Amino acid sequence: MKIAIPVWNNCVSSAFDFAHRLLLVDIQDGSEMNRSEISLDPEPISQRAIRLKTLGIDVLICGAISRSLASLVEASGIKVLPYVLGPADEILKAYLIGQLGQSKFAMPCSWPGARKGFRRERRCRRGRQ
Amino acid sequence: MSNRIQDKKREVILDSITEGVFTVDSDWRITSFNRAAEEITGIPRTKVLGQKCSDILRADVCETQCALRETMETSKPIINKAVHILDARGEQHAIAISTALLKDESGKIIGGVETFRDMSLVEELRKEIEGRWSCEDIISQNHRMHRLFSVLPNIAESDCTVLIESESGTGKELLARAIHNLSFRKDKPFVAVSCGALPDTLLESELFGYKAGAFTDAKKDKPGRFAIAQGGTIFLDEIGDISAAVQVRLLRVLQERTYEPLGAVSSVNAEVRVITATNKKLDELVEQGQFREDLYYRINVMKLELPLLRDRKDDIPLLVNHFISRFNRLRSKNISCVTDEVLAILLAYDYPGNVRELENIIEHCFVLCQAEIIEKKHLPASVCPSSSVDKVKTGEITTLKQMEILLIIEALRRNKGNQTATSKELGINKSTLFRKLKAHDIKPDAYT
Repeated sequence: MKIAIPVWNNCVSSAFDFAHRLLLVDIQDGSEMNRSEISLDPEPISQRAIRLKTLGIDVLICGAISRSLASLVEASGIKVLPYVLGPADEILKAYLIGQLGQSKFAMPCSWPGARKGFRRERRCRRGRQ
Repeated sequence: MSNRIQDKKREVILDSITEGVFTVDSDWRITSFNRAAEEITGIPRTKVLGQKCSDILRADVCETQCALRETMETSKPIINKAVHILDARGEQHAIAISTALLKDESGKIIGGVETFRDMSLVEELRKEIEGRWSCEDIISQNHRMHRLFSVLPNIAESDCTVLIESESGTGKELLARAIHNLSFRKDKPFVAVSCGALPDTLLESELFGYKAGAFTDAKKDKPGRFAIAQGGTIFLDEIGDISAAVQVRLLRVLQERTYEPLGAVSSVNAEVRVITATNKKLDELVEQGQFREDLYYRINVMKLELPLLRDRKDDIPLLVNHFISRFNRLRSKNISCVTDEVLAILLAYDYPGNVRELENIIEHCFVLCQAEIIEKKHLPASVCPSSSVDKVKTGEITTLKQMEILLIIEALRRNKGNQTATSKELGINKSTLFRKLKAHDIKPDAYT
């Protein structure tokens, strides 16, 4: 599984639409296998969504994201966990142990329905137990 | 005590101005946030105090060209820098920011202040004038639309001929402009021609231009739309309405990439991308012999179909909000929303005129609505469903069976196709409702 986190100063970038760096992490059996960082050029949102798809991303963990970009990314089959803030390493660790939904990682004021991915996440994890 | 009064005074003053204002300490944490800032960002001040300003403003300059950082480092104020932010509604907003330093009595820098103006109206008008529309400007959360958006960059890059087939009012020109603006031709002209609006002879001279002396009154050369669009994109709307003669000329342009203006003796190169659109079924016109098959295959390299608004009703609440914000800006009004009853009516309506009709409905409401909320009385009469009693009175319904069908349909509409709720409302058993739906061939799914 490949996770992408837009980063800035080692923290999650405040808005994915305008982010310049993307942290890519390969995960296998719940552990980090490999990580790399790439730069993102300013580009139309549809191209940004295609970029993620070409990179083979499965999950995007990000800060604020516009409705249009979130829908485009989701339409490419990528799971979006938005409106998250904090240091990228902590966020990754929290995701791997299923603790990303904690309020300390939540960015204030997301648009209605933006964090529905977290609800699905909880439901899936509950279903698995 | 006097400090508290001073703070209160400052708060009142800041809240009374129309520009957004916030202050930060030396650690970039927000220390004050005025009312206009709340309105522009959509974030209440209770949630922002103590947060890092970049996590709240979410601007395109935060990471690389932060205006406040520049002011803090150089001690120089920045005036009216154009930036984009992401608001709490998940939409991009154009704003103009200015920054200054905050110092204490001893002159020590204790933070910064940023003021910002909402430039959405200016941005919208600029887009309207320049036609710089992109995918972001097509409002949709519908999966079919997003599938379409996700292939647009590839289509735009390919430079192939595109045919957009859909009913009127679905946004065919907007889509064509988005393709043009995503392509390498984006800095060249985009020329739209409504083929159905021009008589045959005029359309030919309009598209290909003419030379002086080509006909009486042709006193000087006139460049055609193909010449104006040279290097860019020509959008031929209502292509299904062009005559056989124009079809032949257009076929030649697409095959040979050359054309002759009326009265010209030599050919002109057409280095133009062609995007066509129609609200008719071109394949049916080909079968009926009204449209040339060879031209159809030439323009149908890539066919895009825009879904009708009645097939993407999940977009209606989003579009209603979008049009309310747009007309608020254009007409300087302050309408906040529509009532649940109005939204239910808008969701139940069929929109033969698609998104354009919904836009006109909201514009109609804006003319009549003097309050903050659009109510049923502000809607055009054609949108409001007439009650069954009215239909009986006007003689539209004469039999008991018709009355029953209408009552079931209206109840299904009100309950968004939910059969349990519908049967409860009608006071009948669910199995009775099921039997009646089958007998009258009513599909409840059509009302979800």
